[in-house]
Amino acid sequence: MRILLAALAMILTLGQAQAQDLAEPTGEVVLTITGNLTQSGAEDGARFDMDMLKALPARTFATSTIWTEGENTFVGVPLSEVLKAVGADGSMIRATAINDYAVEIPMDSVTESDPIVAYEMDGAEMSRRQKGPLWIVYPYDSDPKYQTEVTYSRSIWQLDRLEVVK
Amino acid sequence: MSDTDTQFLRRRWVFGLIGFGVLLGLVAVAWLSAQVFTDFNDRRAAPSDNVQWTLSQVEVDYLSYLNALETASAAQGMENSTLDLVRRRFDLFFSRVDTLAQSRVFQPLRQDDRFRLPLERVTQHLNAAIPLIDGPDADLAEQLDDLKRAALEIGPHVRTLAVSGISYFATESDQQRTQTAANLLRLAILSGALLLTLGAVSAYLLVVNQRATRRGRALRQANERMNTILSTSLDGVIVVDAKGDVIEFNPAAEAIFGYTADQARGRAIGDLIVPPHLRAAHRAGMERMQAGGDLHVVGKGRVQLEAMRADGEQFPVELALQSARAGDQEIIIGFVRDISQRVAAQQELISTRDQALAGEKAKAEFLTVMSHEIRTPLNGLLGNLTLLKNTRTTREQARFVENMEISGQILLSHVDTVLDIARFEAGKLSVALQPTDLNDILQEIVDGQSGNAASRGNSISWQWVGEAHPCVAADAQRLRQILLNLVGNAIKFTENGRISIEVEVAEPGPTAGVNIFEFRIIDTGIGIGPDEVDVIFDDFHTSDPSIGRATGGTGLGLGIARRFARAMGGEIGVESTPGEGSVFWVRLPLQDAELDANVDSDQPEIQHAQPLDVLVVEDNEINREVICNMLKLDGHRVTVAENGQLGVDAAAGHRFDVILMDISMPVMDGPTATRHIRSGGGPSAEIPIIAVSANVLPDAVDAFRAAGMTAFVGKPIALDALRKALSVVTGPGASTRSEDESDHIGDLRASLGADVFDRLLGKYLSEGDAVVAQLAGLDGGEADLDQVAQECHRLAGSAATFGAMGFRDALIAIEIAAKSADRQQVADLLTGLPEVWKRAKAALPAPGAVKG
Repeated sequence: MRILLAALAMILTLGQAQAQDLAEPTGEVVLTITGNLTQSGAEDGARFDMDMLKALPARTFATSTIWTEGENTFVGVPLSEVLKAVGADGSMIRATAINDYAVEIPMDSVTESDPIVAYEMDGAEMSRRQKGPLWIVYPYDSDPKYQTEVTYSRSIWQLDRLEVVK
Repeated sequence: MSDTDTQFLRRRWVFGLIGFGVLLGLVAVAWLSAQVFTDFNDRRAAPSDNVQWTLSQVEVDYLSYLNALETASAAQGMENSTLDLVRRRFDLFFSRVDTLAQSRVFQPLRQDDRFRLPLERVTQHLNAAIPLIDGPDADLAEQLDDLKRAALEIGPHVRTLAVSGISYFATESDQQRTQTAANLLRLAILSGALLLTLGAVSAYLLVVNQRATRRGRALRQANERMNTILSTSLDGVIVVDAKGDVIEFNPAAEAIFGYTADQARGRAIGDLIVPPHLRAAHRAGMERMQAGGDLHVVGKGRVQLEAMRADGEQFPVELALQSARAGDQEIIIGFVRDISQRVAAQQELISTRDQALAGEKAKAEFLTVMSHEIRTPLNGLLGNLTLLKNTRTTREQARFVENMEISGQILLSHVDTVLDIARFEAGKLSVALQPTDLNDILQEIVDGQSGNAASRGNSISWQWVGEAHPCVAADAQRLRQILLNLVGNAIKFTENGRISIEVEVAEPGPTAGVNIFEFRIIDTGIGIGPDEVDVIFDDFHTSDPSIGRATGGTGLGLGIARRFARAMGGEIGVESTPGEGSVFWVRLPLQDAELDANVDSDQPEIQHAQPLDVLVVEDNEINREVICNMLKLDGHRVTVAENGQLGVDAAAGHRFDVILMDISMPVMDGPTATRHIRSGGGPSAEIPIIAVSANVLPDAVDAFRAAGMTAFVGKPIALDALRKALSVVTGPGASTRSEDESDHIGDLRASLGADVFDRLLGKYLSEGDAVVAQLAGLDGGEADLDQVAQECHRLAGSAATFGAMGFRDALIAIEIAAKSADRQQVADLLTGLPEVWKRAKAALPAPGAVKG
């Protein structure tokens, strides 16, 4: 009995420790991640508010896009960091926008730094009218390989859902 | 060389140009390929797909927004959730339109009014709606219907936006496809051109390669041919470089010199095959060539040199050198032929020839000697026959004697013939020219042969054709012999016919005063067949053996005639018609001559009215008897001596008028005896001495004269010849020494001047008196022989100067005897010296009274 209690206590302790990493959103949820997630506390899906995303390591770069005028500076979390935070384990990510536009991004096309889940453009958060609040952006100007239609199609704006597919 | 260089350079240029062209083509193809690739890439990467999506999505977003407005309107704005939906759909629609207004993808589209105007209209609507959307829920709810109406109003514009955009992009896509197609076409053309160029280059390379292969094959074949020639050449072929080191050494050279090619290659040719004694010359030649000069033997055909084999044997070679340039190097090619065998064969040939010539000479000499040996007994036979004729004989005996004499004469003429040939072959046939009257010769021949001709029923005559020209310089004896042989031949082959001799000045000779005379002996005999004409002048040729034998010929007559004719610079020939007769002709160049009317050399006047006191020195008893009887017939007084010594003794004790002296005798031969008589100072020391010999060769006769003999009579002795000789030596025209001396003294006096001559003559006379007296006083057994020799030598010189040849000869004989220490001989000779001196003095004129 004592042993059973001790084991239960241990599991609870571990659970608490994991739960510290993935906090519950306090503000409006901007991103929901589902699918094969290994991070404890996220088994049934992880939800992020803007503060939680901003707490993850950020990356900033400037690039032009085919949809905007001139060069823009984007700030965001590298997608890899987001996936790491939820312990994503799969070969494919299905990204879906507010209007239900969906694309598939192979896991092995995601590098350490690119793409980013941008939440700021030119120093301000992006409204829905400005393709916000979240936009998957590649540094198009830095590499011609990012100037393909495939890359453009993966650059999904008004992102609000990610699903990790095995 | 420079041609190939030029070709090589040109080919390099061609290759360079082709390479450059191909490179350019490749660059162009690469560029165009990149272009096409980019085109495709553009089509793949360009935002067109997104554009289509965005454009169609505008309408979707508009309809979603309109739908949300409908829903909210139906709910009458009671539910906040429907208002939130309106707000979210508005934002999405706004975002989409904003993209159309902002995105550079739509930049070209925005220039088009069909797109720009609806876009502006939609944007106006959205901007106008913003305050309401962002306002409080109550306001929004209240204004929902207005908002919906406004939204419905822009519906057609949204539609236009989508459609015009799609048609624009479709057009643009078409243009891009055309552009790509053009680029593809260009790429295809360029690729084709490049392919063609590469094909052409390949073809060119193929041709060049084939040509090179062909040239290589030709070169290889030429090389093989050259090697075959070199290796099968019978002459040694050696190639050396400018330094003289061997480059090539063919198998024939290996066989000749005994080196293998490997041994020879790289070694200096001078050390290899040049014999040590020629090396200095070889080195000099090589240095001269290296200095830019010519080798003496290069390009000069074959020269004969000595070479050396590996074993040191030296042998003769024939060498031909040629120089050539191989690349930038001067090389010398030597063709060597081992001629040691040829040289040996040549030498053998020469020695064989020499032996043959020696054999011929020996044969000729044998013939000569045999002739002499035959003439000597013939002399006996004919002499005795002559004597026999002068004895009482019956008529029958006289006929026998006559027959014997005829046979003897024929035999003698045969021997003479053989002797003539032997003389000719020995090269001793000389032509003695003297003024001759051709009329006399021809008349003599006709006279001499008329009996012979008549015996065969023939008539014989001679005549000049054209103008007579009888006086010429000729060897009368040879000419007579030629004509006699031809006439004799004509008589032999003619019976009851006619023999005529014609002589004619045929044409002028090569020099002035010389004319070609043609003598023709024409007969009406049996003639000569054409097959015989060519051989008739050959030795021992007889036309018909039976006739030849019957008429008694040696077959040498015509051969001798031809020899003589040629020796006289003329020619001889025959023309004949069988059955009708023959014409033998002789053409001789004869010089004009003046005949001395006073001298009749051929027919000297024979004087035998005056009986002579004759000494005959002859060892052969028969000959001695014949000569004695002949002389006695003419009334001469004869003393005989059986050898030279006895002759000398007899001459020492008595003065004869003339001595007939045989040549070959036991004890002392004729020439020695003559010298003793001449130098002995006896009473007969100055008289004529006539040589009697069977050796009638000119050099023998010269030897007789050198010994001091005055004249010469051949054996066997004919009475006529003897008489002639006697009359010549004793006659008024005979030459004697004293005559010579007188003439000589006259000349000497003329050349010295009378005073000098007289003084010298006086000195000579007194010196002679003194020396002769001194020598005569000596006792031969005890005298100082050296002094005697010295005195005699000195006085002999003076005697010669004054032409006292007898005295001089006597002095020299004493000198010789003294030097050979023959005291007895010296004493004997000294005894006779005063008498010789006395006669020498008598021959000299008294000083101041020399004739001349």
